[in-house]
Order: sequence, then structure tokens, then C-alpha cells
Amino acid sequence: MIKEIPEKNLDNGKRYWKSLDDLAETPGFRSWVEREFPEGASMLEGVQRRGFVKLMAASFGLAGLGMTGCRRPEHTILPYGKSPEELIPGVPNFYATSMPTAQGNIPLIVESHNGRPTKIEGNPSYIPFGGSTNIYAQASVLDIYDPDRTRNPVVIDSKDNSDSKPLTSLDILDYTSEWMQNGKVAILADKSFSSAREQLKQQLISKGVLWCEHEAIDLTKPEINLGKAFGLNNGLRMIPNLRKASRVLSLDSDFLGNREPNSLANTRALMKGRKVLSANDAKKMNRLYSVESDLTITGGVADHRLRLDSSQFIAFSNLLTAEVLTLLSKGDDKLIEHLNQRGASLKRHKKWIIECAKDLCKKPQESVILPGSHLPTEVHALSFMLNQELGAIGNTVDYHHTNSSESTISDLFNSVNNRTVDTVIFLGGNPVLTASDYEWEDFSTKIKNKLHLGHSFNETSSICNFHLGQSHFLESWDEGQTWDGTAIVPVQPLVAPLFDTISDIELLLSLIGSDVSSHDFVLSLQEKRSAKKSFKDFLRLGVEKLKPTIQSSKFELSKLNQFKDETTKQPSSENLEVLLVPDFHAWDGRFANNGWMQECPDPISKLTWDNALLISPVLAKELEEKYPSLGLLPKPTMLNNNGQIAPDNAVFDHGKQKAPIVKLALSENKFIEGPLYVQPGLADFTIIASLGLGRSNIGNVGKGTGYNSYPLLNKESNRIISKVSLEPTGEFKILANVQEHWSMEGRAIVREGNAEEYITDEAFASHMGAESHSPKIWGKDQEADLAFKAKTTPRGNSSYEHPDHNYEKSESPGLHQWGMAIDLNQCTGCSACVVACQSENNIPIVGKDQVLRGREMHWIRLDRYFSSTERDGAELPSDVQVSFQGVACMHCETAPCETVCPVNATVHDEEGLNAMAYNRCVGTRYCANNCPYKVRRFNFFDWNKRKTDEVYKGPLGEENDSLPAMGKNPDVTVRMRGVMEKCTYCVQRIQESKIQVKVKAQRNALLQSGKDGADIELKESDIKVPDGSIKTACQQVCPSDSISFGDISDPESEVSKLKNNPRDYSVLGYLNTRPRTTFLAKVRNPNPQMPHSVSSPHSSREYHDKAHPVHHDDGDHNTPQEKTH
Amino acid sequence: MRNLFPRWVNTVPVKVIFAMGIVGGAVTAGINYYATPKYTRVGYQPTQPVSYDHKFHAGGLGVDCRYCHHGVDKSSHANIPSANVCMSCHKNVKPDSPLLAPIRDSYFGEDVNKDGKLSEEEDTNGDGLLTSGPSVPWVRIHKLPDYVYFNHAIHVNRGVSCVECHGRIDQMKVVHHNKPLSMAFCLDCHRKPENALRPMNEVTNLAWTSEITEDSSSNIDKIHSGLDIKHNWGVNPPLSCTGCHR
Repeated sequence: MIKEIPEKNLDNGKRYWKSLDDLAETPGFRSWVEREFPEGASMLEGVQRRGFVKLMAASFGLAGLGMTGCRRPEHTILPYGKSPEELIPGVPNFYATSMPTAQGNIPLIVESHNGRPTKIEGNPSYIPFGGSTNIYAQASVLDIYDPDRTRNPVVIDSKDNSDSKPLTSLDILDYTSEWMQNGKVAILADKSFSSAREQLKQQLISKGVLWCEHEAIDLTKPEINLGKAFGLNNGLRMIPNLRKASRVLSLDSDFLGNREPNSLANTRALMKGRKVLSANDAKKMNRLYSVESDLTITGGVADHRLRLDSSQFIAFSNLLTAEVLTLLSKGDDKLIEHLNQRGASLKRHKKWIIECAKDLCKKPQESVILPGSHLPTEVHALSFMLNQELGAIGNTVDYHHTNSSESTISDLFNSVNNRTVDTVIFLGGNPVLTASDYEWEDFSTKIKNKLHLGHSFNETSSICNFHLGQSHFLESWDEGQTWDGTAIVPVQPLVAPLFDTISDIELLLSLIGSDVSSHDFVLSLQEKRSAKKSFKDFLRLGVEKLKPTIQSSKFELSKLNQFKDETTKQPSSENLEVLLVPDFHAWDGRFANNGWMQECPDPISKLTWDNALLISPVLAKELEEKYPSLGLLPKPTMLNNNGQIAPDNAVFDHGKQKAPIVKLALSENKFIEGPLYVQPGLADFTIIASLGLGRSNIGNVGKGTGYNSYPLLNKESNRIISKVSLEPTGEFKILANVQEHWSMEGRAIVREGNAEEYITDEAFASHMGAESHSPKIWGKDQEADLAFKAKTTPRGNSSYEHPDHNYEKSESPGLHQWGMAIDLNQCTGCSACVVACQSENNIPIVGKDQVLRGREMHWIRLDRYFSSTERDGAELPSDVQVSFQGVACMHCETAPCETVCPVNATVHDEEGLNAMAYNRCVGTRYCANNCPYKVRRFNFFDWNKRKTDEVYKGPLGEENDSLPAMGKNPDVTVRMRGVMEKCTYCVQRIQESKIQVKVKAQRNALLQSGKDGADIELKESDIKVPDGSIKTACQQVCPSDSISFGDISDPESEVSKLKNNPRDYSVLGYLNTRPRTTFLAKVRNPNPQMPHSVSSPHSSREYHDKAHPVHHDDGDHNTPQEKTH
Repeated sequence: MRNLFPRWVNTVPVKVIFAMGIVGGAVTAGINYYATPKYTRVGYQPTQPVSYDHKFHAGGLGVDCRYCHHGVDKSSHANIPSANVCMSCHKNVKPDSPLLAPIRDSYFGEDVNKDGKLSEEEDTNGDGLLTSGPSVPWVRIHKLPDYVYFNHAIHVNRGVSCVECHGRIDQMKVVHHNKPLSMAFCLDCHRKPENALRPMNEVTNLAWTSEITEDSSSNIDKIHSGLDIKHNWGVNPPLSCTGCHR
């Protein structure tokens, strides 16, 4: 820990500046003269773990007037009194732990620098996730350093708190044990997969405590209802095994995205079956059918997509079951008739369903049907039967037995009304927000003692008498199961609680009157479970196997006859339907104060800092006609199809389209108000509203973001809502969208082909783009191997010699030549890489206002394009194909940014990295201007130093809380105002690996020689980094392994092999930038029998239409053409 | 119109230009000299809270550098030893010296009677854990800018001695900043590593000189042995930005 001590002669300095005395006293001036990098934390040299918060604060406080002398300020180094055994200052430690979520624990490995957790990675010992993590796990490290988290217990309207000293958590635990003695206690908990909590829960229930659980987006609901429908005492949880699947049908299920559980395992398994490296792979490639009302990233991956309102899935799945049973000749006529009758309203999709059913029945055991968790039980029962009759159960899907349901929030309210409960403890969660349909005012008057344990003060805390801070999972002991029940994983703290907080396990332990610590409790559980394995081994590996009970017996098809309720009518513009979905940024609201999540664009809508009411282009058109002042649809051109000037309906403010705010009402007092946003791919009369934003009681980050749609959620948390009316309010809001333009306009940016095209022509991607027509980029060396091109930078057709990647004074070029390959066919668009990069590279958030100015700082952005058949240049299409492309610095070999830098701040290094020297940059921004990929980011302000709403005040602006600075990666510079930055290929990881390899080689050689080491001889292979040992942050997090990184001068490396694949291409390759990051073209796998099937993806058809219009008209050119439909 | 200005005015512009040149030159020369690492850093010799004598410990007693700075060959930082390292000897040697009071305070902390156990009256903060005392506030002497990522492990393991950057610490009673540690200083060595390379076992022997040079006065043989080492080990230090700036 380095801190600055004020100069001894401070007084003299002050006297000298006498006339400016007041100026020198202002905090603004003091901060101005402070050092440029307040995050001196990067030089932490060893501090008492428990004292470092204090020291952190002290270092900022003591940062004094360093200008009083010309000498450098005095720094101190504070070593430990007794050094912990496992800690070497400067070497990070890694601990296995897991993140508890309502969808099972996510196994993690967390990096810790001198006791500060800084980076979260997945634990590769848990095979289904393969070391990947989702975006929320990545962002969760920020929550431990959330300045708005609860630091001390809060006591509200207590009688004796007026002038007594503030209470500690321990004092409050005295109150709770008093309550326990009086009885009448109820606990309302959020869903948890903790086995420690399960144990304590049973003990509390036996003591007469009412235990209820509530989760607004309860992903375990379908399994419990399915069990009930089949007359079981347990739930039936669906665990797909998509690795074996060749045909997948998703019924409104976003099983690759954030709306369904276990998305990491699903993504990993499904995308493995879509990895295409040869024609043979393409033949075996799986096919995804998706029927959905919203456009999700699962729909983006789908080969065939049907838009259907969520309420219509009962009819759809009945019709599908009838078709499949007929094809398999199973089920009696009466059942088929029953099914057909219930599906009668969807006759218009009959052809789609028949062809899909035929395809599913081709290899029945390799097919699987996945229903969305918000759909009614009937759909889940039908899907079960379909999977059973196809023979999928046991192959592509398993049904695990789970516990039956707990008491719910309505049981709690019954007890409250019966006065059998007078004390309620809220264990995490935020039911006042997420179950707003209940009468909380009445509740709070009836209940005497209310305690909320939570991460920060929220809506629920505000109705309680006591609010206790809940320790972050990186501060607490626990253990829990993964969603699929095949593993139990520990929750291990990396740091003692930073503030006076306790974990849920500690609270429950105190409630049962035990004085065992949470560590000892978890230890005892583990010892009870397995005597052979030690607790240390459990913690080291971080995973212990479990065997779930699997449903093995079959069910009678006749069980399907039980569903007889009336089906919902088709929605229309008069009778709108709303689907409530978890928000991408905030999920159910728990991440709403996380800046990384708020600023990460939604993968489909590309909105940041807000949610919107998504509507289809069809509905938008109808609304436009009904309310002409709405201004929903901007015109892409000034002219209409007839060439006449057409006025633009949309309303703009400073070039940003204003979104009209509308009121969606279910009844007089059940309504929400939010901005409309038109998005292709939605079911025509469904509106998508997301839950979790627009919270009223939240910290500074989440304040004022989005609208709250919880008022539409009813007591049963039914997320499909019919008969909603829409009315404009006349107000407008500007949404911060990071990618307003959605079309590639026929350019070959993302190159796509169908599997059949790929089988006939593996190099289809290289026949697209301007470079396929231009002279060869590498000239006579075009066909030379990758290593030669990387090491020597051939001249190509240039008039000038290109400098090679070595320095005149260095004897050899770099040992490695770094490069990256991104397989677009593997990318689902989940955006975890964006946040992983932010966490690894100390990338700041900039706030909505700055995002609107296009100043977001993400080093990797995920471009999303739509393409369609019906596009005529002006209209937003309804049926689209989605393509994603992650774009970061390409590390061009002939980089355009380097030639324009006046101060040589961006130059190449000998290993092919496009280096960025921050301390040399003067901020001309020429480089960003000259970058064809637009990947350079400029620090317009001191984002890291100052609060986002204070940046315009410059040195007078208020500074950031020092807490988030502790989560910064000390191996990466924290950039200041006025410098450019961009992707570095995680150069800190590269350098660290190179150093480790050399140190190890040298030491081994010394040990072997046994002499003084002068005569050791090291071969080049000894000091080269082995392939696969460096993973960039984006690569490590990716669940589908779509990013590969390594040495392209080594022909055996994985990345070289991918780059030599015929699918490989460079974006804007014709510019002769020779990017080191190349892309592998996307392959889609449509079924030619399906209606609207096309022989070539829409985007490539658009490209060929634009690139070869003459040939196209001739009809004799063999460019793939769309089949009529 | 008579002469409005006296005659001496004619030379004023020349004089002004001349004076400005002198002042400007002085300022430039002053900044060049006084504001460079050479002046501002070399010779910096702060008073430490404990007057640890490197000359006595490292030079006289022959304690190896890595006994205290044990992270130097494993980590990017060469750690400042924690109090327990000092106490491993000074529990027995001069255990009551007043000069060592800050070390003892830091080491024993709450353990007032120094029995290694925590009794109830000793537990002043009431957490039931034996907390060590305040850290010894050693004053930092060698400091690189925050955007420079120097790694000790790679240098020490690849035959670059401590003496190359820190000077003869074993002859310093009070340690001072000995080399400028500017970017030019780093690059000089990265361009010609043979001047600094030595056998691995001699890295912490600050007095070492190449055996061949013992009788000859020239520096050339040292370079020769350095060249051999450089060749055999494949030493090729980075010269580009990414080597040190991340």
C-alpha cells in the first residue's frame, strides 16, 4: 500500500501562496494537484487484510499538496506484521467458489490480488460449463465494491435509536433471538440452491417457523406444476443434453439466453453441434427451430423461426403433438382429435408444423422439444409427452426429480391475516417490488417486527424496522447445488466482510440459536456427506459430484386429456398481449445498480441504461395511423418509393430519435408507462416489457433508469398478460441505443452461407466482399503459409516495402506472432465477453448521457445485424435473420492508426500487437478517425476519477467513491482523461505467461545442470509459450468457445488451424489492413422443405443482389438465389 | 522632428533578444538537469523508521538478498519483508533493542505478553483473533511510474543482478537511490543485455565480476561472457512498448 504523506513544509507553501489561500483550501484545487492515478492501489505491497479498507481511505485522504516541492512525494510501503503463508505480494491467488443464483450455483474460480477479488472466471472442473461464466457472474464482482451497498445496519423508527450509539449486526441478532423465543416468526426467502440453507430451513420449520419462498421469475415453477399434473409428489426438472441432439425445437424458450436456467450448459452443448470445420461436420450439424413471441438470442441462432404470441403456445403444442403422434402412429384417435381440436385456431401455421414434425421424426431419438418456463403447464406436459414418444428422454433430455413446492408468499399473507405471525424476516430478495400485487401497507401495519437482510437498501427495506447488510458471496461461507443437480459446489469467501454485514447462513444459524460459525457449519456438512474426501480437497477442486434421481418410468398419453380450459384468443391491435421478461441489464432487478450491466447493450435491442416496450413493425404502423403524432418509424431516406420527398414522422432531438411514452393498462389502477421501441422479429400484437428496471429505491447507478413493469404482474406471477390497452401519454424519452442502424446494406461484413452451400463450396466466404474482385492482397505471396505472412509482412501490391515486425536493434523477430480467430458460427450474442473485458481491463462506465454522445468505452462491441427477404429499402421488416459479430481491435499488420499518430503512441511490437502507450498519447484522436473498424475509444473525461454526472465540472467535479477502485486489475493501467485506448489482446496476460514460461525453463535447467547456470542452453521451444496457455478475457468467458487466440507463426496452434479453414475471412480485407483478428463465416442449416426456406441466408442474398445486379438479371450466374415462397 | 529617442535605444532590441536567449537557455538547461530522473532520483536517501543497515546485514553478515526479499524471484514485486522475517532472528538477537520497537509492535500486535496466545484482556478489538500491530511504514526509495510494469522475477532468473539497478546495496549503511531508473536507463540494457548478464548463481552476489576480468582491466571480457550467456539462454529483451506498458 502506497500512500502519500503531506510534505513537512506545508505551512511555508501555504504562506507563499498567500493570496490564493482560499483556492488552495478548496477540495477542487486539492484534487487537481493530486496525482494522475489515484488508483495507486495498483502498487499494493502487502497490507493487513482486515485493515486495507481503512488504509485505502487514508491514502486518498492523505494525498496532499505534492506541488510544494519539486521532489517526488514520499511514499511508504506497509508490509504485514505476520505475512500469510499463501501470499506473495504481486502474485495473484485463485480460489474456487461459486455464485449462488436462483438458477443454481455457478462454479467459479476467482482471482484475488492481496485479498481483493478482482476477476471472476468459470471453474473448468465443472464439465457442463467448461470454465465459462455468464454475464451476471462476470458483473457480480462489481457488487462487492458497490458504493451504495449497506455498510451498517439500518434501524428505522425504532424508539431507542435517537441518541444511542449505532447498532451493529450483532446487536440486531440479539433482537432476532428474542423474536425467536416469542414465536410467531415467518421467513420469506428468495430461491436458493444452498444445501446449507436447506439444512437450517428444516431445523427452523421444526421449531415452528413459517418458511416461505418467493421469486418473481421463478424458473422452478414449471417443474413443480409438471410433477403435479402427472400426479407426482416431486417436481420434474427438464435437463436437456443438447450435445446428442440433432433437431431442437424451442417453444418460446430462450434456453441460450438469460430467460431460462442452465443457459451456459445449453449454449456449450448446442454450439458444439454447430461447429463446422469440414463438409462432414456440416452434414452432421444440428438444426434449431424456434417459435417465439419476442426476438431472443436463441431465435437469432435458429435456422427456422416462427413468430407466435406466447398465449398461442397451447394451441401450437397441441397441434404439433397431434402431428408427431400421427407420424409415429401412436396415441388413439380420440386423443388426436382432442389435440387437433385444441390446436384448431392455428391452422394457418399447419404447413410449418407438419414439416417441422416430419423433421423431428426423422431421427426421433436425437430430437428434443424445449418449452419456455413462462408457458402454462399444458405446454410442458405436451413437451414431456413429445420427448417421451420421440424417445428423446434418456438421450437428448433427462427429467430429474426435485423437491416439491415450498410455502409461497400467499401462504405468508394468509398467516399474516390470521394473525398467526407477528415477525417477518426477509432473507434476501425484494418482494415489495417483485410482488407488488400484494397489500404491503396493510402487511406492514399488521407485522410488528420486520427485518430485511439484503445487499443494499431497497423497496423491501423501506417497509421494515431493521435492515441488515447481506455479505456478498465473495465474503461468505456456503455450499450449494448446480441447476442440473450433478454437482455440489462450495461458496468460499475471498475476503472478510468489508463492512458490518452478515451472510444468510450466519443469520439462520443465529436464529436456531447455534454459535457455530458458518465456516464450521459448511465444514460439518461436507464431512457428513463424504468421509473420504477432505474439506480442503473440496475447496481446492470446487466441485463434488452428486447423483440426481432421474425419472425412468413413462407416463400414459391419456394424461393429456386433463387439459380442458378454454384457450386464449388470438391477440389483435384491440386486444394486445404483454409478455413480461427478465430484463437483460437487471434480470429481476437485482443487478439494477450494477454499472457494467446497465451499460452493456442488450444483445438484440442494443439499448443501454434503459428498457423499452418493444413492439413489432406491424403494430407500429397501425399505431402510426391511429396516432399520427407518435413518430415511431423513422424513414431511412428522404424519398419514398416513388421518388417523391416524404416527410419524416419521427421526432428527433439533437439527431436522436425520441421514443413516445405510452400507457399500457390492464385496468384502472394496473398500468405501466414506458417508451415504445420498434423491433423486428416480434409477434405482431405482443408487446415485450421487461421487469427489473425503473426501481424507486435504489443506489446512484440504477436511479432513473427505465420503467417499472412489475405493476402488471399478478399474484401468481403469470408473465403472459392478455387484453391490454395502449394509449400514448404525449411524452417522449430519448433512449441510449449504441447501434441504431441494423442493416449491412448488402456489404459482406458478416458472411453467411447455408450448410448445403458450404458442402458444395467450402470457401464460399472468400468469394464475397470487394477483395474477391480486387488484385490479391498479398500479391505473389497470396498462397504463402500463415507463419510466413505473419513473420515477414509481405509487400503485396504496395509500392512500399512494409517493415517487418522486428526492431533494428533486436536480433530476431518476436518468438510468437499473436492472432485471433472468431467463429461467427459459434457466437450466440450473449455479450458475456463485453463485461469480461470490462472487468479484466479496468474499463470505466460513462453513463447514459455520454453513451448518447457515442462515448461508450467497451473495447469489444457486439454488432447485431438484421436481414430479411421482404426488405425494400424503407420498411422495417418483421421476419428477420440475426447475425452477431464481436468487433475489437483487429491488430492490423499494416495498421492505419499507426501511420497517423503524431507522437508514435500507437506502434507495432515485434509479436504483432498493435501497442497503445497511454503515457505517450496526447489525444489527437487521429487514430480513431483513421480506424476503419471504429474500435478505438477515447477518454473524453476522467471516467475513472470522477462521478459520471460530475465530469463536465472538470477538476471541480466530485470524485468517485474510492470503493470501486479496489476492484481494479492492478496489472492494467487505469487510464486518465485525454488518452486513447483499445483492445490489447490482454497484453498483461501475454506478458505474464511469457515471463512464467521463461522463469520456469531457466529454473528447471539450473536444477538439472547443478552448476552456476552459465552454460545452460535453452532451446527456442523451451521459452515459447505453449499453445492454449494464454486465454484472453473474452475467450475465457465464452461458453461456446467462439474465440481462439494464440501464436499464428506456429502451424500447429489452434488459431492457425482455424485461420487456415476455408471459412476464414478478414473484415474489410480489401483495405489491405491485414487484420490479425479474422472471422469464420457463419453457416446456417435450414430445412429446404420448410415454408419460406431460402437456399442462401438473407444477408448473403442481399450482398449478391448488390454486388452482381447485372448477372442476377441475366439469371445465368450461379449466385445463390432465393426460392420463391 | 528631432530625435525622439536617445541613441542607446538602437541597441535595445539586440540586448533584449540576447537577454532572452540567456534566460531561455538557463531555464532549458535548468529543467534538463534538475527535472530529470538523474537529478531528482539518484541520491534520494530518506530516513527509515527502523535504521536497518544493509552494509552490516548483507555485506558483513552475508545474509542473501532473497532471505528478506523472498518474492523477488517469484513475483513482479521484490517485497519489503514483513515483521515476522525480521523477528525470526531478532527474537533471539538483541530482542529488546529500542531501535527495533516498531518491528516488535508490528509483529506482536495484541499479544502484549508475547506468549503467542491471545488472552481475553489482550483482545482489545474484541474479535477473538490475534491481530498484529501497525505496519512498519518503510519509506519507498525506488519507484517507477504507475504505467510501468517492471517484473523482478524475469530479471533475477535470467541473470540480471540486483546491482544493475540498485547499486552496491551491500555497501550502503543507509540505502539510497543509486541509478536513474529512467526509460533510457532501461532501454540501454534491453538493447545490450550482454553488459548485465551473469551466471544465475551469482545474481545476488553484488561484488561479483567476471572471473576472466580479474587481472585484465578491460570490460570486454565481461561482455564476452555476457554474450555467451545471452546466446545460450536465448535472451532477447523486449524493446517495444508492450514489454513494460500495459
